[in-house]
Amino acid sequence: MSGIGPVEPEEGTHALDAFPAPLPQRGRRARAFERHRRTVAAGFLAGAVLTGGGYLYVTRPRPEPPPAPPYPSQVTAVAYLKARTADPNTVPRGFTFEVEMTTESGPPVTVTRISQPYAGLSVSSSPRAPFRTKAGSPRKISITIRVTECGKVPRNAGLPFLDVTLRNTRARQVHSFILGSRYARDLSRALQAACSNETR
Amino acid sequence: MRQRSLIAITAALAAGALTLTACGSRDDDGGSDSGSGGTTVVIGVDAPLTGDLSALGLGIKNSVDLAAKTANKEKYVEGITFKIEALDDQGQASVGQQNATKLVANDDVLGVVGPLNSSVGESMQKVFDTAKLVEVSPANTNPALTQGVKWQTEKVRPYKSYFRTATTDAIQGPFAAQYVFNDAKKKKVFVIDDKKTYGAGLAATFTDEFKKLGGQVVGTEHINPDSKDFNAVATKVKNSGADVVYYGGEYPQAGPLSKQIKEAGAKIPLVGGDGIYSADFIKLAGAAGTGDLATSVGSPVEELPSAKEFVANYKAGGYKEDFEAYGGYSYDSAWAIIEAVKKVVEGNDGKLPDDARAKVVDAMQDVSFDGVTGKVSFDEFGDATNKQLTVYSVKDGDWTTVKSGTFTG
Repeated sequence: MSGIGPVEPEEGTHALDAFPAPLPQRGRRARAFERHRRTVAAGFLAGAVLTGGGYLYVTRPRPEPPPAPPYPSQVTAVAYLKARTADPNTVPRGFTFEVEMTTESGPPVTVTRISQPYAGLSVSSSPRAPFRTKAGSPRKISITIRVTECGKVPRNAGLPFLDVTLRNTRARQVHSFILGSRYARDLSRALQAACSNETR
Repeated sequence: MRQRSLIAITAALAAGALTLTACGSRDDDGGSDSGSGGTTVVIGVDAPLTGDLSALGLGIKNSVDLAAKTANKEKYVEGITFKIEALDDQGQASVGQQNATKLVANDDVLGVVGPLNSSVGESMQKVFDTAKLVEVSPANTNPALTQGVKWQTEKVRPYKSYFRTATTDAIQGPFAAQYVFNDAKKKKVFVIDDKKTYGAGLAATFTDEFKKLGGQVVGTEHINPDSKDFNAVATKVKNSGADVVYYGGEYPQAGPLSKQIKEAGAKIPLVGGDGIYSADFIKLAGAAGTGDLATSVGSPVEELPSAKEFVANYKAGGYKEDFEAYGGYSYDSAWAIIEAVKKVVEGNDGKLPDDARAKVVDAMQDVSFDGVTGKVSFDEFGDATNKQLTVYSVKDGDWTTVKSGTFTG
């Protein structure tokens, strides 16, 4: 307790007692603004609404875009089925075998070319390329390999492969299918037989 | 007064717009890595985390970490929180074996991802198998690890607890030989290896197929993996008349070897396996390494949508090191363990059984899921059923895809 109370206003210290400050002199522009302030305010409001709406539109939740189709090599399987005895009259120095080609999912895949990388051999297929395979509908393909030059033929390759050119709506790819040891064995036997006949 | 009302309405509209935006446009939950509580299961990791091969090893560790965090975030196995315990084998078989013993001693470890090197894997297999602890390697490619030492004539699985997601050198070596002989049209090869299980094995499977195709092996050499001076070998390569070099080994030696072969005057490509498929090889080989080739397991990342998601999550994970050649395979290896644990837990009323390790080994044999690298499952030897390979070439300071193949035999 100090005995000192709050400071009381004295006469003439009330703010309201002071003379009002003179209003600023308004210019022509200010007067024009005064006249059009409703229009300006409405414009400001419209702008804010448009901006907010635009922002909402841009950031609105959108469904995920559908995933791109898979690359054709990722959904195509080629399995070796069996060797077929080639007719020596119709397929001289040749080896015919069957594969099953499967498209596992996605859009249809078109086989535009079947080849193999060895010199001294050529390849044809039935059906002839191009042909399509659809998901869920495996196709049996008959492939014939003909010897064109025995001197350049590998007689016992361990992992021979077929190069298959695949195309779908996503991409075009050349992919190697390594058909395994049974195919390697059958191919080697056939090529050795074909070329040994040649040299007899 | 009217002016004030207009301003108030505008402010309210703007605030409303912002509120609606905040409410409606984002699905991200900012989830944490917190586990699903309950029991902790540890996934062990063994890889070279220091030394020359650490780039690959750290990529393995980080990718397993990402798999564990993803499983926890998704609460993939109810009641189970996954953790990793990563040990450094320094690329040494003896250290790897000690690490295997350590991991076996931790009862919480129900599976191990690793190692990188086949020689290290060889030293760990028996330790894990005795403890019935499952091991999934993302990178071992030597065929003997799953098919026995006589794999070329009689395949016998040596260890039931060993699995791998990587393709074997029984396919990788011949695939490289086919590409080098038929596509690159190289007919005379000089073969070099580092005498290790992986390098010597890969060089052997390459050589065998290259000869069968009609190619000529004009020289062979072994190098000391502890050395970086290969000038004597480089001179031999130059004098041999080879038009290509095949190297069975890893990038810390392959890079300098490639550089020194070119410096010796032999402007011919060096070809190697997945062990040289690293950004570090390109750095070490320098500009002269352009045109060098590597085969690696799997398909190019850009072809697999699942791999793209992995790449994005890995980036978001903030890992300092790249996931490198085995990141996707490591993630899939870890996820295979997670799937096996899930099956065991769900088959035991939501709890881990007392013989959880043995049950996980059994469950692993039937695991099947769509992983980063494609369909993940294992054959009767513990090998990955998905056998894809890709040839890469050094171009403009980076590895570029040349050709891919799928083994369907």
